Amino acid sequence: MNALRVAGLTVSRGAGPVISDVGFELAPGRITALVGPNGAGKTSLLEAVSGVVPATRGSVHIGQTEITKHSRVARARLGLAHIEQGRAVFGGLTVLENLRLTARTRARVDEVLELFPELEKRRDSAAALLSGGEQQMVVLARAFAARPAFLLIDEMSLGLAPVVFTRLLPVITRFAEDGAAILLVEQFTHLALGVAQDAVVVSSGRVTYSGDARTLLDSPDTLHSAYLGET
Amino acid sequence: MLQGALAGLAAGGLYAVLAVCLTLMSRLVRVVNFAQSATAMFGSYVAVYLAVHIGLPVWLATVVGILLGGALSALLGWVISTWLAEADTGTRSAVTVAVLLLLISLSFILFGNKPQPFQPLLGGPAFEIGGVVVSQVTVVTVGLAVLVALGCRAVLTRTSAGVALRALSERPTTAELLGIPAKPLSVAVWAVTGLISTLMISIVAPSQSNDATSLAMLVVPSAAAALLGGFRRLDLAVIGGLVLGMLQGALAQSDSLSIARYFLPFVVIAGLLLWSQRKEVWDAAR
Amino acid sequence: MPLAERKPARSIGIPLLIAVVAVAVGYGLSVGLEGYFVYLGMSAVVAAIALLGLGVVTGSAGMISLCQLTFAAVGAWVVSALNKAEAPGGFLVWLLLGGLAAGVVGILVGLPALRLRGINLAVVTLGLAAAADLTLVQLQFPGVSEGISVLRPDAFTDDRSYFLLAVVVLVACCLAVYFLRRGRWGSGWQAVAFSERGTAAAGASVRTSKLTAFAVSATLGGISGGLLTGQVGLAFPASFTSIQSLALYVLAIMSGAHLIDMAVFGAVLWVAVPELLKRWGVPQDWGYVVFGLLGVQALTSGGNLGTALRELWHRRARSREGNGHVGIEHREVETVDEAPPPGPPVLVVRDLSVRFGQVAALSSVDIAVPEHGILGVIGPNGAGKSTLVDAISGFLPQAQGEVELGGGPLTGPPTRRARSGLRRTFQQDRVPPGLTVEAYVRFVARRRLATREIADALEFFGCPPARTPLSRVDVGARRLVEVVGHLLARPRILLLDEPAAGLPHEEHVAFGERLRRVPARFGVSLLLIEHDLDLVRSVCDTITVLDFGQVLATGPQAEVLADPAVLKAYMGETELL
Repeated sequence: MNALRVAGLTVSRGAGPVISDVGFELAPGRITALVGPNGAGKTSLLEAVSGVVPATRGSVHIGQTEITKHSRVARARLGLAHIEQGRAVFGGLTVLENLRLTARTRARVDEVLELFPELEKRRDSAAALLSGGEQQMVVLARAFAARPAFLLIDEMSLGLAPVVFTRLLPVITRFAEDGAAILLVEQFTHLALGVAQDAVVVSSGRVTYSGDARTLLDSPDTLHSAYLGET
Repeated sequence: MLQGALAGLAAGGLYAVLAVCLTLMSRLVRVVNFAQSATAMFGSYVAVYLAVHIGLPVWLATVVGILLGGALSALLGWVISTWLAEADTGTRSAVTVAVLLLLISLSFILFGNKPQPFQPLLGGPAFEIGGVVVSQVTVVTVGLAVLVALGCRAVLTRTSAGVALRALSERPTTAELLGIPAKPLSVAVWAVTGLISTLMISIVAPSQSNDATSLAMLVVPSAAAALLGGFRRLDLAVIGGLVLGMLQGALAQSDSLSIARYFLPFVVIAGLLLWSQRKEVWDAAR
Repeated sequence: MPLAERKPARSIGIPLLIAVVAVAVGYGLSVGLEGYFVYLGMSAVVAAIALLGLGVVTGSAGMISLCQLTFAAVGAWVVSALNKAEAPGGFLVWLLLGGLAAGVVGILVGLPALRLRGINLAVVTLGLAAAADLTLVQLQFPGVSEGISVLRPDAFTDDRSYFLLAVVVLVACCLAVYFLRRGRWGSGWQAVAFSERGTAAAGASVRTSKLTAFAVSATLGGISGGLLTGQVGLAFPASFTSIQSLALYVLAIMSGAHLIDMAVFGAVLWVAVPELLKRWGVPQDWGYVVFGLLGVQALTSGGNLGTALRELWHRRARSREGNGHVGIEHREVETVDEAPPPGPPVLVVRDLSVRFGQVAALSSVDIAVPEHGILGVIGPNGAGKSTLVDAISGFLPQAQGEVELGGGPLTGPPTRRARSGLRRTFQQDRVPPGLTVEAYVRFVARRRLATREIADALEFFGCPPARTPLSRVDVGARRLVEVVGHLLARPRILLLDEPAAGLPHEEHVAFGERLRRVPARFGVSLLLIEHDLDLVRSVCDTITVLDFGQVLATGPQAEVLADPAVLKAYMGETELL
């Protein structure tokens, strides 16, 4: 299985870089937690990897293929999936229609629905009428249905109660165990680090820690200083 | 009055179909296509030219014209989705204004500014009700209007391409991240609406005032009809088109009301806009 | 306040000087040109006035107007009718009345389309143009069937002198547009073209801004039509067709008619292209085909002739000056302002709730900001901070609950709230790039300001000087200019939505110091939303923490930040449930 490698990535918006010289690797079967305070540039980083915004410098590779200049659609076809911040459901489509956008077969739709039995009885409702947690399940199920090799998840928990989010985490873990490489951006830092093997901390657009997730979890000082400033 | 209203029904069917096309374009590819009927006019004019001057059989010339209308529309769609993929509706629609001007002028150059010698594809009365004759053209256009609207709805809800298009219209970036190819699908919408409009113009033009300007300006009453459905609902667009056509037909009965007939689409547009802005809405994007 | 201080003499003098030169050139042309070219020149002047109008509505205010020649027909109609009725006042008065009549029609036509976004104005105006086409053919202009030719003014009866008169009218129109554009109306046009929310937040009415643009445009159209009637004597519908209106619009887009010189240049093209084609024996309709193609090209490339030429000029000028964008530059400010103690609450929010469909974005939020106080609002992403600002400032009509400003209830649309003394800034850049820093600040402040006062406030925040065009100011500094403008409006309270987001991190400390002194210096209370906790810590005495749309904690800074519940919410240190 291939890995996704990011090297020297710089993204500029307006005045200056929001991401400077960031590098990391996503390996099959592993979850990487990307953490850091609001405004650190995590979302921009994900957007540059999936092609929503262009990278100013640096490269993104899947295996030996450089995809830095690929279109969003081309990247998706190489197995890259990106779950955007907020609840990116198509509200005017039913749950089933949302899933069929990515599922090749009807059997695949049923498979992902099994992961979220809550959705089964609402399969024909418009996604806009679902609760926030259910919408996020639709988004996850839709991403899984395509069987992506690499999955970037941007703040699933945004506006969700922690209890809903803890319901989603095991499903993500299982998907990684089946061989996907997952990059998890999360404001519930400890929950994310709890399920991840690797961790990357970014602050003001730069990587300030890169390594084992467990180690980071055990050294709260590193985290606190990244979040709350130097005081 | 009834006679006039029924006479206006053929035009109403045409408005309805064009309104459905305008609605589809606005919903699916974020464009109010001011060149919608001009493209169709150009295609049908080429068909007339091929039939009259080259001597092609009328049916073959018409088919070529319809295909040309579709191709022109697709070309315009390709230009817009290549260079203005992320632009707002206003800019995208402004391009179609320039194309409207271009197509009218081009047809003046190629075909002159007089009505064209269209050969009717359909002729004669279909049936009579209450002493009023309903022509075959009327029956076919109204039938097609309903059929086109139903067909489009079926495509949008039943087929995977239709669902993908609805997804694209809602959140283009998210759809692309799922691997849905925006450009080919958009160009396909342009092509299909081009084909449908040219087909309709080819059927109705022989029995209408069919100089280039009149045909190109059919986009005005059609936009009024589309506005009734808020550029979103196909059923209301069809009803709007049919009612507008009948009203115009009824007004045409009396000479003293003819100016009212000219202003009818404008009054409908202004009235619907006033009605639709009762509530204040702040769009997050601007 | 002396006028000279507000508007430096040269900002009036130079345009007047150019106007005098233009009239002189017009005189030279009227004497020097061959008779036929004088006639063509008249047509160009007529087109230039119509294009000038389109430049206002399409270029400055960003709308699509497709019936400019219908307005011209209204002007022509009024002039013909007054001429036929032998109304008193003579041609120039009729011309003015024709323009005004067209302006009134413009307001009536514009009203339905102007509140909504999108391209409703394009649909309405095309509808009007199509209807007018058919109507004019049927009715004909007054006096035409009797052959009553429109009388030119006594001193300008021959073509050469009438051309000069037309030039004088054009120059007067150019001056009017120039000064309107530099005034409040013009700033409003630029603002509304860039952002409707930004316009409303500055206390300006979105509808009025659009309507004035459309009315001015229609008036100019009317004047151009009246002038044409004087040129040709008898007006015919063929001069006012919808195709020509379309062509004029496309020409305005492609030449960039919001620039006055480009409107004139566009008019020269309008006359020269068909004329050249005629001489070459090519059908004149090719002219519109060319305009159409160039219009598509201009729209797809996102530029036009005028801005391309300007850009070229600026690049040369810039390479001499040697820099591109201007950012912030902090100078030491010596005076230390004595901070008055916080007073009674100036802004009180009670039981504020907002729902988006199934999702509760805010539930029963209570906050209070004391007079001369600075309240910090923090919380994780998605906690509802920006929704709070939107709801308080009136952008979410569905919000439930009470907002009080200075003891009285604060209700109604954003414009009204802004005028009652509640101002806000935006997270996104909503500063129109078409204005200078000074014009923008005056527009936002909505009161008379001495040049010195603006300069001081800009300097205090380290913003670029007043005369800098905003297009050359970087995003971070633009948002500080936005803050300065709203502070100079002297509101009771200013809500700042992540004002430091575009600034380099090093600048945050200096910015915080400035903010801290805002209540003393400007007499304005602040509500600050910010994710840089260092900045919040240095600026805010009291802090409110939002989480899941609810107030999690509120109180003095030290207490709130030491609260373990806050730390958990902020870092997501929630125990597994």
